[in-house]
Amino acid sequence: MRRKADAVIIGGGIIGAAVGYYLAKERLRVYLFEKSYPTSGSTGKAIGGIRQQFSHELTIRIMVESVRIFSQLSEELGMDIEWHPGGYLFLAHSPEIRDTYLKAIEIQKRYNLPVRFLTPKECREIVPHLNLEGLLGGAYCPTDGHANPFKVTYGYLEMIKRLGGKIFTYTKVLAIKKEGKGFSVRTDKGETFSGGMVINCAGPWVAEVGKLLGLSLPVFPDRHEGLVTEECPDLCEPMIVDYRPDGCYFFQYRSTRHIIGCYTPKPLISGLDNSSSFEFLTEMPRRMARLIPALGDVKVLRQWAGSYEMTPDGNPIVSETEIKGFYVVGGMCGHGFMLGPAIGKLFAEKVVKGESSIPLDEFRLDRDFGKKEVMR
Amino acid sequence: MARSPKIVCRCEDVEEREVVKWIRRGYKTPEELKRILRIGMGHCQGRTCLSLLVRIIARETKSEIKDIPLPKRRPPLKPISIRTLASFYEKEG
Repeated sequence: MRRKADAVIIGGGIIGAAVGYYLAKERLRVYLFEKSYPTSGSTGKAIGGIRQQFSHELTIRIMVESVRIFSQLSEELGMDIEWHPGGYLFLAHSPEIRDTYLKAIEIQKRYNLPVRFLTPKECREIVPHLNLEGLLGGAYCPTDGHANPFKVTYGYLEMIKRLGGKIFTYTKVLAIKKEGKGFSVRTDKGETFSGGMVINCAGPWVAEVGKLLGLSLPVFPDRHEGLVTEECPDLCEPMIVDYRPDGCYFFQYRSTRHIIGCYTPKPLISGLDNSSSFEFLTEMPRRMARLIPALGDVKVLRQWAGSYEMTPDGNPIVSETEIKGFYVVGGMCGHGFMLGPAIGKLFAEKVVKGESSIPLDEFRLDRDFGKKEVMR
Repeated sequence: MARSPKIVCRCEDVEEREVVKWIRRGYKTPEELKRILRIGMGHCQGRTCLSLLVRIIARETKSEIKDIPLPKRRPPLKPISIRTLASFYEKEG
């Protein structure tokens, strides 16, 4: 007889894992399919930053909730997820960027975020080795932070198993068919499952999975690169974000003392190619050393590349589709790891109770994709 | 007498019993174990521990060493300082 789940989830990254956990907690029977190993897509390439400093009000509210979840998640999952509220410091090297931050701070204050615009001298109190050349100040929120994307994802997956769900790794979904009120789902292992609902959490492959049901989903991957150094003395507790055209962002893990960071290539490199470039390996250290010259002696251990999944307006899609029972939770635009816990929880509320404690209507698939997030 | 722990990955201090525990939870590839335990993510980038890890997986899953997929290699092949990398184009002109 065919095995049947209440919810079939496609994708073993942070989104699939979080959605699966909060649905399983609501007593749904969850089957999760991952075509490779968990975190093999975008999640495993994420550096682990978690911030509430956005300009879009709904994103701020969701991130306040996510930070609340992250801060007690080690206890809930029984696994140290390495959460540390080290803060985020957005540097302003031009009046335009400074004004963007000041405007965003006005919005963020409505949600009681302890965010402030600091003078260059105050920035240096937080990052003692910071190069102040050309710096006009920085937007700082001390309750932002970081956690380990691997630990969070595997922690959620282990809990899904404990709650009676099943995780199928190295198992690709080849076909999805509407069948009565539910779906049939066939995998590359030759097995077919039944699902009451199907949730597409496939990250960079969201559009590809949508095609299995004939949908055209507006999610487009592009390539970002990252690197990690050896462990080193404390050099930068907060995430430092440099928004100059040749800027970058990086922070130091509190747990392991590695410095990890990346930058957004200009122009963007579209597609799923995740090869590492020599350009990044030399350019990223130049940008890092310009901000903190004391990093010079620290050695780079490893570089990699991964995808951001962009939507036309820079905001996620959390929505049922025109096919009833087929949902998309994707297009996280490079913020999937930090959004994941709250999005997973709110999505489960919506599915089980009909409404979520923070309404997610702005992330519907049938919205106007014209307005843009300015603190991307 | 209690047996002393067997270290598999000396850069990241990973013990054999931890590896075996996670293999028994269903994570049977070096890619997965690396991400959960940091095995092979330290200074030597897996040069020392990877062959040990593959043998432990083969033993625990009763499979052949040749059938265990190796993790993806990441540049640079050995650690290089930020200063050296940052000055690459200056030196080249």
